[in-house]
Amino acid sequence: MRGDPKNLLRLEPAKGGELKEPESTPFAGVLCYFMSSITEKLARSVVGVAGLGGLGSNVATALARAGVGKLIIADFDNVEQANLDRQQYFTDQIGKSKIDCTVENLRRINPRVEVEVHNVTLVPDNIPRIFRNVDVIAECFDTAAAKQMIVETVLTKTERIRIVSVSGLAGYGNSNAIKTRRISPRLVLVGDGQTGIDTCKFLTAARVGVAAMHQANAILELLIDEISP
Amino acid sequence: MGVLKINGKEKPFADDKMPATIADLLSTLGVDSATVVAELDGKIIERDKFGKTPICSGQSIELVRFVPGG
Repeated sequence: MRGDPKNLLRLEPAKGGELKEPESTPFAGVLCYFMSSITEKLARSVVGVAGLGGLGSNVATALARAGVGKLIIADFDNVEQANLDRQQYFTDQIGKSKIDCTVENLRRINPRVEVEVHNVTLVPDNIPRIFRNVDVIAECFDTAAAKQMIVETVLTKTERIRIVSVSGLAGYGNSNAIKTRRISPRLVLVGDGQTGIDTCKFLTAARVGVAAMHQANAILELLIDEISP
Repeated sequence: MGVLKINGKEKPFADDKMPATIADLLSTLGVDSATVVAELDGKIIERDKFGKTPICSGQSIELVRFVPGG
């Protein structure tokens, strides 16, 4: 899994936050074997996170906690105060790049995760190159046109990469309207399919979070249960 | 009369209302083509080819529509 070395960060543990090897496991026999095979699969996996807003900042966090081996993250934006209503950033990170803040946050969660960063605007010309080594991409954009663009690009310009995209997560409540659906072998779609910020004028950490965790969970399922085509 | 299978459901069209291309179909449905990924009989059709891709009765079309928010 090679990326451009200048973009590759090996995370050092936060000060005072070194990880210890687990002393023992509560699992025994077959169950232990089962768990270790999942852990190994995830550690070998590479996931692309396209956009680090309400979806991406939460998806990256969940995947790092789950033990995904490498994340390739891309965003061009800085953290703003208005983002704190739903995105995984903190008041002392306002004004900094989302890339830098995500690296900082992931380092505090799981220093073993390898992170490759791209502080760019993703377009059809650079998406296949930036994400060429990933197993799955999480589409975490906010505009409908950008969502359309990356899904179309991945399905037409790459051979094997799967993409988990989101459509319909605005507002609050009605958690169970948010579904995960397999549209085609390489496309999974999360969301209620209709509630956008164009019609429902606001986003909440709770409902965006429901969608983001559907997305992260669908990605784990693909990584653990399916061999990359 | 013609029939298109759209997202798994059959939709009938009178002969004079049958959309000629994917762009025509989206216009008939009132959907902005900038927000749609389309698959015609299992093949992804790029958005810039919607106006040039003919459709005819009996074909299956999957339309994935994106709404903003993230």
